[in-house]
Amino acid sequence: MSLNRLARLVWEYREAFLSGIWVTVELSLLAMALALISGLLACLGALARNRLARAPAILYIEFCRNTPILVQLVWVHFAWPAIFGVKFTAFTSSVVALALQSSGYLAEEYRAGIESIEKGQIEAAQSLGMTYGRLMRRIVVPQAVMRMLPGILNQFVTCFKSTSIVSVIAVPDLMYHAGLIVSATFLPMPIYTLVAAMYFLMVLAVSAAVRRLSRRLPTFGYFQVRHAAA
Amino acid sequence: MADPMIQLRGVQKYFGALHVLRELTLDVPAGATVVVLGPSGSGKSTLVRCINHLERIQGGTIVVDGTAIDARGLARDGRRLSARQVARFRTGIGMVFQSFNLFSHMTVLGNVIEAPVGVLGWSREQAVARGMELLGQVNLADKAHSYPATLSGGQQQRAAIVRSLVMDPKIMLFDEPTSALDPELIGEVLRVIRDLAIGGRTSVIVTHELGFARDVASRVIFMDAGRVIEEGSPEQVLEHPREERTRSFIRRIV
Repeated sequence: MSLNRLARLVWEYREAFLSGIWVTVELSLLAMALALISGLLACLGALARNRLARAPAILYIEFCRNTPILVQLVWVHFAWPAIFGVKFTAFTSSVVALALQSSGYLAEEYRAGIESIEKGQIEAAQSLGMTYGRLMRRIVVPQAVMRMLPGILNQFVTCFKSTSIVSVIAVPDLMYHAGLIVSATFLPMPIYTLVAAMYFLMVLAVSAAVRRLSRRLPTFGYFQVRHAAA
Repeated sequence: MADPMIQLRGVQKYFGALHVLRELTLDVPAGATVVVLGPSGSGKSTLVRCINHLERIQGGTIVVDGTAIDARGLARDGRRLSARQVARFRTGIGMVFQSFNLFSHMTVLGNVIEAPVGVLGWSREQAVARGMELLGQVNLADKAHSYPATLSGGQQQRAAIVRSLVMDPKIMLFDEPTSALDPELIGEVLRVIRDLAIGGRTSVIVTHELGFARDVASRVIFMDAGRVIEEGSPEQVLEHPREERTRSFIRRIV
């Protein structure tokens, strides 16, 4: 197949490709937003002293991390209507399943970040008269977030790649459109190669941004004393 | 005679099955500088950490400037203190740690003004002015906007001392302040402690620096296995110890 013909193919199906990419991006952003919140709740539960709060949180985290994404997707879409009486659209089911998967890993990222703060930092804050709430807000969480950010961003990359599974329940993402185009043109080799290249370039761009950001984090302005010059 | 600033009576402290402080009794008069000596594991650090309630005690009482600590927690005038009041109690007691424990996400000045602004409610201008003044006195004015990780150990410890002093505490606790430092950096920190940090405050200092102890202490106590074995003036304990354990300890570390 000539490059010329490939270019014409891309042009011909440009709307399908673009709308597929858009769905992929939308899915991963929504799923990550949901996972950032549910993962935080799960982490707080897992760190709680109360056993009644801890047990379900740990069960949730382990379930999310130890079931395959495909199983979660199919389970949410086809089993939740019977279990919880909620029927989602395929798109919503995909967001929920991807968020489930990511939130389990994020909860562990949060926990590792908070537990990595040295005891001496907390004792210094206490000896200066800070209450628990203040020392968490001012001392523990800002430092923990700095340490978590690379892990959170890597989880975003993983989530982005995982979205390719949702075509199974007919969500029109990039992979789903690729399938449609292949059925119309009978050209699996160039189409799927092209799609692989698209994922590769998008993930590469995100990963590179993640790496750059993690290197620059310690010098971020948020952590400077803004009024120091006063 | 006035009540001592810090009074320990029969204090018991356990870590699990380990009996760390055994019916420890000690008075620290207001304005005194008490140096605590003893082998590692003797309970010296635990003793100072109980005074600002970083460690709970399991028996006995500690009275710090009118606030009573016992196994149930803190009380003043017979009334239990809330978590917020316990935090407020600690603002009157400065503490300097072996490992400095500067907040690593804040600059030196950020470390210094954090508690005056956030806990005591000073204006930022006031905290910065006082903080810069103190940093100048420990020769760190040019490091005010540096992060702790870029400082030497001696500079970090001097910054940590300023962070405590800016609160103008009545009491200063030092938990082996120079034990994590390279030998050539110890002198600069000890000078700051002697000339600036003690400054008439009631101080309890855990250290292995005998020369420094002789220099600053109004009293020296020697601890072993959770008990005060010997107590007296620096000359008495350091030059003419009565107890064999004190003698052999001093021989070993000189």
